[in-house]
Amino acid sequence: MPLIDTQHLFKIYKLGDVEVRALNDVSVSVERGEFVAVMGPSGSGKSTFMNILGCLDKPTSGKYILDGIDVTATDLSKLAGVRNRKIGFVFQGFNLIKRTTAVENVELPMIYNHTPMHLRREKAMEALKAVGLEKRAYHLPNQLSGGQQQRVAIARSLVCDAPIIFADEPTGNLDTKMSIEVMELFTRLNKEMGKTIILITHEPDIAEYAGRLIKFKDGQKISDERK
Amino acid sequence: MFDTLYSMFRLSLKAIAANKMRAALTSLGIVIGVAAVITMLAVGSGTQKSMAERFSRFGTNILYLRQPWDLDESISSPKDVTMTDVLAIRKLPGVEAAAPYINSGFEVKYGYTSTSLDVLATDTDIFKTYDWELESGRYFNEKEVDSYAQVMVLGATAAQTIFNDMDPLDRTVVLDDIPFKVIGLMKKNGQGGMGFDMDEGALIPYTTGKVKMNAGWNSSDRRALDRVIIRVKDFNTIEDTKLDIMNTVRNTHRIHPLAEDDFQLDDFASFVEEAKSASKTMGILLGVIGAVSLLVGGIGVMNIMLVSVTERTREIGIRMAIGATSADIRLQFLAEAVTLSCIGGLIGVVLGVGISLFVEAHSTSIPVQLSLFSIVLSVGFSAATGVFFGFYPAYKASKLTPIDALRYE
Ligand SMILES: Nc1ncnc2c1ncn2[C@@H]1O[C@H](COP(=O)(O)OP(=O)(O)O)[C@@H](O)[C@H]1O
Ligand SMILES: [Mg+2]
Repeated sequence: MPLIDTQHLFKIYKLGDVEVRALNDVSVSVERGEFVAVMGPSGSGKSTFMNILGCLDKPTSGKYILDGIDVTATDLSKLAGVRNRKIGFVFQGFNLIKRTTAVENVELPMIYNHTPMHLRREKAMEALKAVGLEKRAYHLPNQLSGGQQQRVAIARSLVCDAPIIFADEPTGNLDTKMSIEVMELFTRLNKEMGKTIILITHEPDIAEYAGRLIKFKDGQKISDERK
Repeated sequence: MFDTLYSMFRLSLKAIAANKMRAALTSLGIVIGVAAVITMLAVGSGTQKSMAERFSRFGTNILYLRQPWDLDESISSPKDVTMTDVLAIRKLPGVEAAAPYINSGFEVKYGYTSTSLDVLATDTDIFKTYDWELESGRYFNEKEVDSYAQVMVLGATAAQTIFNDMDPLDRTVVLDDIPFKVIGLMKKNGQGGMGFDMDEGALIPYTTGKVKMNAGWNSSDRRALDRVIIRVKDFNTIEDTKLDIMNTVRNTHRIHPLAEDDFQLDDFASFVEEAKSASKTMGILLGVIGAVSLLVGGIGVMNIMLVSVTERTREIGIRMAIGATSADIRLQFLAEAVTLSCIGGLIGVVLGVGISLFVEAHSTSIPVQLSLFSIVLSVGFSAATGVFFGFYPAYKASKLTPIDALRYE
């Protein structure tokens, strides 16, 4: 059974009389432990697709089975636990909470699954160590470089032992050197920790790190190849 | 659960600390409201306590006769309370003493010093009604009352003010251009009184006051008194004695049997009633002031929380993405609103207690009594304000969908 299985996903936005098909009949399945890159021009529906996979948004129609759960049949507000346990997010804009130290940002998901306080700090430090930032634990986001902030976000996505990481253009705001750092980290998480990673990018160099490449155009999947 | 609440509380403090100025301005309404409530409760219960003390010292055997302040308009020609009433009442078997009572302020001069003096014009029966004690000298006697003598019995504090440490006895002071000889000096009793405070005042014969110093008392009837103070012999028969007195006064005032009284006879119980209704009015007033300021404060909190929710929409999105439920988000913003208003409440308590203590230290005329109850009550109310006015913003935050919140610019 695939970890992620979508069947005929549609996402249609109605803007007045105009209908935008952000997703137009997309069926994809991803096995446990895969590293998938999603490419496509701007506006082709990549983010829409990933937000639905991440249970942040609902498709207009179609079916999505995540780890055996039919999440399309469940209300979004009931999926907080699924997001917490099964999914880690890494965004282009890092999305750390300002005025909150790196380690506190990493602890955040554990507040919501009611991990006891002393364990939280311990696990957060472990996750920071895994991304090589244990020395920066008490820095605020604005005291860290972009690459470091993104690694904090990755640590946050790891800390609840979620099997899946969704990354929407994680290197979009980073220079080449930092991008390489981050991509090597993803590769390591995939190889060593067995994380299933789905990563959106529009840079072919970045997509090179993945073992499978899905291309989108105008809301449709136009190619899907494994290396 | 405790862990979660603690984390929420820390988050709230952090969020509030990030905007200290804004938080301060927001909670100002609550600060002022709580401070006002605490101060007013302290003054209110202080006043009530000191009134109760006065009443009880006053004695339950005392009655007051006076013309009602809110005289019924249906009474065509109300008569003043006069010496005729005093003399008639004195004859009643249940009455121990009845004294005329005319209270007025004067400027008193001694040598070059000049100060104001609270003067009670009365007769010898006054010494049988109140429990005053002489320090030195003597009271004036009936002969002196009948002969318009210019003599005075002086209160302890007043004597100190006028004469410093000199012995006031046999010295002459001038009231309204008329010289008075001090023949007696009272012991300090520290009681205050109903309207007249013996410590701060002086007693003179009412005859002298009426005839020689008429200027002080304004009434159409030159024989009019402010009041008659009556002491009954036995508290157990006070109701019968009251009836006797009322019948007597109706007689002297020649009131038609079917007409209303044109006078009022107050006893201890009616003073207590009056005080109770006064403190009830004060309570209602307090309630209104407290409610209005907490309402204003609460609206401030609601407003700032709505701003905060909007400003932090993205943060809400991030939290939802990493697993916060709607309830978690709601709790977070609710905790923030409650923290904000409780901080306001606590500052208000400090301010209110400070004002009360300041008033207590610097004013002898305003009694103050702080109570733990009022402090707990006002902090409780500010917390409740936070919950009530924080609920809508928190609810609004919790209703965001993760994707809309994350996309928010
Ligand atoms: N909330 C929305 N309302 C209307 N149209 C939207 C909304 N979100 C995305 N779209 C549209 O859907 C299409 C796909 O967007 P998106 O998934 O963000 O593309 P990508 O991430 O590939 O650049 C775009 O045409 C975009 O304008
Ligand atoms: Mg996108």
